[in-house]
Amino acid sequence: MLVTIVALGLVYSYLFRMSLRDYLPSLTLGIVVWSLISSTVTDACTVFTGAGMYLQQSPLPKSLFVNRMLVRNLVTFAHNMTIIPLLYLAFQILPGWPILLAPIGLVIVTVNGFWIGLLLGMFCARFRDMPQMVASLMQIAFFVTPVMWRQDQLPADKSWLVDINPLANLLRLIRDPLMGRVPPTFAYVMGIVLIVIGFSVTLPFFVRFRSRIVYWV
Amino acid sequence: MASIELDQVTIEFPIYNARGRSLTVELFRRTVGGLIQADNSSYVSVVALRDINLFLTDGDRLGLIGHNGAGKTTLLRVLAGIYEPLVGRARINGTVASLTDITMGMDFERNGYENIMMRGVFLGLDPKEMRRMIPAIEEFTELGEFLTLPLRTYSSGMLLRLAFAVTTAIVPEILIMDELIGAGDAAFVVKATARLNQMISNSHILVIASHDVETIRRLCNKAALLQTGRVVKVGPVEEVISAYMGGGVQS
Repeated sequence: MLVTIVALGLVYSYLFRMSLRDYLPSLTLGIVVWSLISSTVTDACTVFTGAGMYLQQSPLPKSLFVNRMLVRNLVTFAHNMTIIPLLYLAFQILPGWPILLAPIGLVIVTVNGFWIGLLLGMFCARFRDMPQMVASLMQIAFFVTPVMWRQDQLPADKSWLVDINPLANLLRLIRDPLMGRVPPTFAYVMGIVLIVIGFSVTLPFFVRFRSRIVYWV
Repeated sequence: MASIELDQVTIEFPIYNARGRSLTVELFRRTVGGLIQADNSSYVSVVALRDINLFLTDGDRLGLIGHNGAGKTTLLRVLAGIYEPLVGRARINGTVASLTDITMGMDFERNGYENIMMRGVFLGLDPKEMRRMIPAIEEFTELGEFLTLPLRTYSSGMLLRLAFAVTTAIVPEILIMDELIGAGDAAFVVKATARLNQMISNSHILVIASHDVETIRRLCNKAALLQTGRVVKVGPVEEVISAYMGGGVQS
């Protein structure tokens, strides 16, 4: 990951005519947080299909497999986080008190990950072309979400393109505090609304199709 | 008190081909309505169990017999709560242990002790209870120092010893087995058999599927003959076995 960041950082800072000092911190944090979000979404597709052996041998609660995926991604995230102290040292950044908001963002992202895991897990067990669709959607999402670029590079009248992007808002909830900024209130509202909508769509589906999952895998 | 009640249970497996598995095809079909209805053949299903009625209570030891593909394993999975019937009803009261794959949940990179914990948690025990049981399991396996090594260094016999020791350490109310489990060399077999018999006699209900009629004779007080997904005969062990030996029941 460090190699990726250095390579991208060098090239894109020239491309965007920004100094490394301006560009590298936001790129690094962007990539670290984005990889958590995007791997949660793509892993959500194999929550049940990858657990066929367990599903057919034992009546374990279905949420177990979602939690397993979330924990795996959080561990990977923690591992990637080790870059961040290095970044702070190298660029002498002191994020200050807003960093305390980062765990809150992480909780919001993880809770969203839970319904995504349940919903995509079910859909992908039934429809086997879903994982490919999700993977290509995430690829597109990567380019339209400010990971490699910054929202302030967009013309002011077009910055709504980022504000309406749910993944960009989830990203902000963790990245901004790590950069020493308080995320906009709007991002929190969006994060919570996503949880509410997500669960109210997923739960009826889950209640209806929970018992079928084992027939699909 | 443990009990199992199956009421008109039918288990049907949808067999999707590539088209039936595809969301794009599905969406297309929905939007264009009846235009390509001939494509409905993409949905095939296998009826694995048909109209099963069964009532078991404390003290019942049921043996399931039948040819390959008769539905024995599927029925065991219904009883274990793995397949929830979409048609009919299954009511299962009591803690269930399904010993169909005794190594499930074991991780070959982890050592013996960690795997005892993992396996125990999969069987539904909490880590605290499990930790208390470790010394007894440790002693039973006779694996000694090997328990500190990763599982991939074990021979298959050692692996089975460990899996067997953990799996039989629990006391379920309903015990479900697909063929009799056993493990190890001559000396261990004697010990294992005693332990398994202990576990069986402690359980309230036993359901075992086996091709070996001697096993059924020895362990069961009831038997059921399955034929192409139906229970064609239930009753005293000898009667059902003779029906099975006689080539099944004509329906």
